[in-house]
Amino acid sequence: MIKLWEFYKSGDWVEPFLIDSIILFIAASCILYLLIIASRSKKIKRERLRIEYDKLIEKLMFSVVFQDTPFSEIKEDKGYSVLSKKAFFREVLAESITNLHKNYEGVYARKLEQFYKESGLINDSFKKLKSLKWEVKCKGITELAEFNVAEAFEKIITASKDRNKTLKLTAINACIKLEGTRSIVHLTEHPYPIDNWTQLNIIGAFKKHDIGDIKGVEFLLESENTTVVALGLKLIKELKLTQKVPYVVQLVNKAPNTFIKCEAQSVLQTLTV
Amino acid sequence: MTFFDTDMTWFLNIYMVVILAYAILIMSSYLILAYLSTKELRSYLKKNSFVDYEVLLTSEFAPKLSLIAPAYNEGFTIEENVKSLLSLNYNNYQVIVVNDGSKDNSMEILTKTYDLVLTELDISTKVETKKIKGIYTSRNAAFKKLIVVDKENGGKADALNVGLNIAQNPYVVCIDVDCILDKDSLLKLAKPFLESHDKRIIATGGVVRIANQCVIKNGRLVEVNVPDRLLPRIQVLEYLRAFLLGRMAWGRLDGLLLISGAFGAFDKEIALLAGGYSTKTVGEDMELVIRMRRYMIENKLPYSVSYIPDPLCWTEAPEDFKIFKKQRSRWMRGTIETLSFHKKMFLNPKYKLLGMLSLPYWTLFEFLAPAIEFIGLVITIVFIIFGLLNWYFFFLLVFFVYSFAVFFSVIALYSEERTYHKYPKRTDFFKLLLAAFIEPFYFHPLGVYAALVGYKEKIMGTHSWGEMTRKGFNKKE
Repeated sequence: MIKLWEFYKSGDWVEPFLIDSIILFIAASCILYLLIIASRSKKIKRERLRIEYDKLIEKLMFSVVFQDTPFSEIKEDKGYSVLSKKAFFREVLAESITNLHKNYEGVYARKLEQFYKESGLINDSFKKLKSLKWEVKCKGITELAEFNVAEAFEKIITASKDRNKTLKLTAINACIKLEGTRSIVHLTEHPYPIDNWTQLNIIGAFKKHDIGDIKGVEFLLESENTTVVALGLKLIKELKLTQKVPYVVQLVNKAPNTFIKCEAQSVLQTLTV
Repeated sequence: MTFFDTDMTWFLNIYMVVILAYAILIMSSYLILAYLSTKELRSYLKKNSFVDYEVLLTSEFAPKLSLIAPAYNEGFTIEENVKSLLSLNYNNYQVIVVNDGSKDNSMEILTKTYDLVLTELDISTKVETKKIKGIYTSRNAAFKKLIVVDKENGGKADALNVGLNIAQNPYVVCIDVDCILDKDSLLKLAKPFLESHDKRIIATGGVVRIANQCVIKNGRLVEVNVPDRLLPRIQVLEYLRAFLLGRMAWGRLDGLLLISGAFGAFDKEIALLAGGYSTKTVGEDMELVIRMRRYMIENKLPYSVSYIPDPLCWTEAPEDFKIFKKQRSRWMRGTIETLSFHKKMFLNPKYKLLGMLSLPYWTLFEFLAPAIEFIGLVITIVFIIFGLLNWYFFFLLVFFVYSFAVFFSVIALYSEERTYHKYPKRTDFFKLLLAAFIEPFYFHPLGVYAALVGYKEKIMGTHSWGEMTRKGFNKKE
């Protein structure tokens, strides 16, 4: 301590300390400045490329959806054959056709699904499922669910049991789209509380994808996890599942706590009035 | 003389230790907070890209919100601002505009524009307030969400308490009526209330940004610009630093003390149990957050305060020094009052992170910083007078602090660039970069001066808010 004080008192350290710190701050500022410039340039370049790609994709999708152009012919397109090897092009293509698929139903949607498979984008999505990054997995799951790839269900349901909340939620939503209630029945044995946001998303997924098959929702009411029971009640209420009223009556009689009892009574009131 | 010299050398050494330790402490704490903020921001943005806010729009289970907007002499902008509040993307909400005894024509404008009529409303007075003159609702079904309360002037806190008494929903969103909200701001603010199961979310805060010279159309921000005038321009940078590099980190640590009065949501039950807004301070926003936290800790209730980094609320910054001085001196008075009300919590382990870190940080770096700087300035002048100043080291020290200040602003610009990228124009970026170089010489001394005025006002017993003249935003017809 005395040595340190003596060293401090000598003042020898002040000048190098200040000069080194100044150099460090200036150098770090310059590096950050260069990074900002690089980031802006990258953004501008990607934006320019995106506009360019969008034009080509728009043309290709028009011919796929409205002119029944087979993929073998698209493959021959000079622009497509060169660009389809580029990762960024495939990323833009996947985003574009996913968005397009959201807006179409019936035969047009089938054609897009066909293109998704034949162009190999489906393989890209499956590859994303294997990624170690949860956000990449989420992207893959979203794409596979959007194109109704039922074969992916087992892999996605595994992801729905992941510890990462966002991945778990994305996977549950995807499973609901692919297999309806089958994908949430396993929640009856879920050991942890399911927060209201997750519950709202599950209900939202049922509503959004207009899931007609609601067989098994009543199993949620039998769970020992009260948040799962609450989810079941909310689903019954929001989807107006009057055929599930007997199960709700049963729950009122053997509710695990007053909160669930009140919720069940409220659901009964809504559905029976 | 020898004795004087020895004594002086000893004093100089101690002074140097204190100043240097303080400078290193403040710089390293800023860097640690910036690191934590950046990490949290990246994680938030990643998660948020998979969030579907539409589920909140379509669900009856979405949290029910009451927006409370106190208004005092806001006649210049009130029509457009209330219109903007009524057209937010959310279903379960009501808007309560509290006219706090305005001397201008705010009430006439509201009555005429929204076709208001006097109405009877059951109010349970949980917090005492000034007398309510009348409660109005609209005859027009398009404005059924709107309630306007006309009351005697009692200050912002009193107006907010009236709103708390009247609010019919379990969550209240307190906003400045002159703010421009992002269309999805309520969706984003409401989400955290649903996310936690084991802890009760008692409050959620959002990021406030500067809207001077931005283009507003129909109460919505349509074009983001960086102000030409230096004072508001530097405030853009200051807000970026505070919200992107500061509060985000405190949010991650769950030690956030301040949710901006301009835009924040609260659990009404806890806010009322904690006693509502205090009318004894001009820093009522910070004071309420601390009191709510204190209530939860003292009652051993698990809780958390959430923070949203998205730019959800845009406000007008003071453009001239007179108004700026009033605002900043008021902020300083608010800080002093709040810290003094809750001095019991200071370094008290019972209050965990709040008492051991958040409050000491605010005391040391927010409350005491201007005083320390001022004392430093006085001592430097004394040194100059007595010929004790080593000019070489003095300039080195000044440049050391200056280069750090610029560096920290550049971190904020980098963070903004990599996240929200709200200033895509090249000229705007360079305007902000230039501001980073000018700020330490121009804006910082003004801020310190305004804070010193705040100390003085506190000592003199000033309690008023001071008039805040608004210019209004640029409008696109």
